[in-house]
Amino acid sequence: MNAESSLATDVTSPRPMLDMSGIVKRFGANEVLRGVSLQVARGETVVVIGPSGSGKTTLLRCVNLLEDYQQGTVAVDGEPVGYVMDRGGQRQRMAEREIAAAREKIGIVFQSYNLFPHMTVLQNIVAAPIRVRGIPRPKAEQRARDLLAMVGLSEKADAYPARLSGGQQQRVAIARALAMDPKIMLFDEVTSALDPELVGEVLAAMQQLARDGMTMIVVTHEMSFARDVADRVVFMDGGVIVEQGAPEEMFASPRTDRVRQFLKRYNDRYRI
Amino acid sequence: MKTFAPLLHSYWYLFRGAGMTVLMATTAVVPATLLGALLALAQIFGSRATRSAIVGYIFIIRGIPLLVLLTFVYYLLPLTGVDLPPFWGVVLVLACYYAAFMSEAFRAGILSLPQAQWDAAKSLGMSRRLMLRIVIFPQALRLAAPPFINLCINLIKATSLVSIVGLWELTMASREVVERTLAPFQIFLAAAAMYFCICYALALYGKYLERRVLVGH
Repeated sequence: MNAESSLATDVTSPRPMLDMSGIVKRFGANEVLRGVSLQVARGETVVVIGPSGSGKTTLLRCVNLLEDYQQGTVAVDGEPVGYVMDRGGQRQRMAEREIAAAREKIGIVFQSYNLFPHMTVLQNIVAAPIRVRGIPRPKAEQRARDLLAMVGLSEKADAYPARLSGGQQQRVAIARALAMDPKIMLFDEVTSALDPELVGEVLAAMQQLARDGMTMIVVTHEMSFARDVADRVVFMDGGVIVEQGAPEEMFASPRTDRVRQFLKRYNDRYRI
Repeated sequence: MKTFAPLLHSYWYLFRGAGMTVLMATTAVVPATLLGALLALAQIFGSRATRSAIVGYIFIIRGIPLLVLLTFVYYLLPLTGVDLPPFWGVVLVLACYYAAFMSEAFRAGILSLPQAQWDAAKSLGMSRRLMLRIVIFPQALRLAAPPFINLCINLIKATSLVSIVGLWELTMASREVVERTLAPFQIFLAAAAMYFCICYALALYGKYLERRVLVGH
């Protein structure tokens, strides 16, 4: 791993879009992340799988500091998010304003959509571009309509979230995150709260995004998505990355017993 | 009709008393709301010391009857050398008293929003000030509106207590008229009807507001 990261400074291999190193996260005495390091290359789609409580969601929320962590650092496109190292090698928390600015570049889509219920679909999408980035309203609205067209919801611009299905809300949430022109998109079990027949439309939007070259980290239980879309699959358990590799390799011949066990149990459950 | 007709002149007097009630209540409700909002925000975002001070304040206010507080301040103010006209003294007491309850209503409104709304706003790079203004407050106000309207109605009715410190309003006016006319039922029935009309109008307005801000739900 060390040899790889020193290579990353080489001009021939560009720096990773996301660089998380040594993330330790504790809830009281419970260590949820035990020194996790993860690099994601520009345009790469990384799918994170693993059992419940393995720390997948927590890791994702550490990227944009929705969850604070006790050790380690995160950088997006070379810019630190949350903490910087001072000269003495001590971790210093950045000012709230700098953290907010860093979050702009990191899009996240949540399991429970989290749209703003008092705003229409269009208002949800343009609020941050206008108020945070200072984009003129006509331009922001045009971009919002383009994004809505991309996720297939052009006709819903003036609807309130409560009038949409879960799948539609989730696609609006994707459009809302994209409207900030993020450098990386995080997806936190975005299909887990959806009716089975609505899962496909959301996954299709994500697949399109991956194909268009967006850098993505996807935490999911959708193994078929991992198999078909991921450039790399990361398996987490007990707060560490147990195994990672190309999806065809990992699904066909996992190297560790833990992954083999997990995939077997998964296959047994879903074989009808 | 014979029992009420001779009292027409007195009703006009009551009506002016009712005007005074409304004036006093509206004057008090503005600072009460502002102070209440300030206390709510300070209690949520303030330092530990600020929070304890506000919790203590609310605890004390909640445990004292308004009547006792009014009387107490009425006797206390002259002793401290503060020369405040009785009207403003009463407005001050009402505002401080109801601010404590309003802050609890506002605080409950803000805190009952799911953490997910804060997360979503944060993840879009919003500053705390911005997310409060465009994400949190609009939703929190909708949740706080019913208890807020309740407190306003309470405040209106509470002005009937201020006659104890010699301020003239609807209840005081009614007592004066009863002493003159010896017709307590007709007069207090009229006073009760006037209080009811004021409060009912406010309740209707509250319902209207609720419907208007219920957008999207």
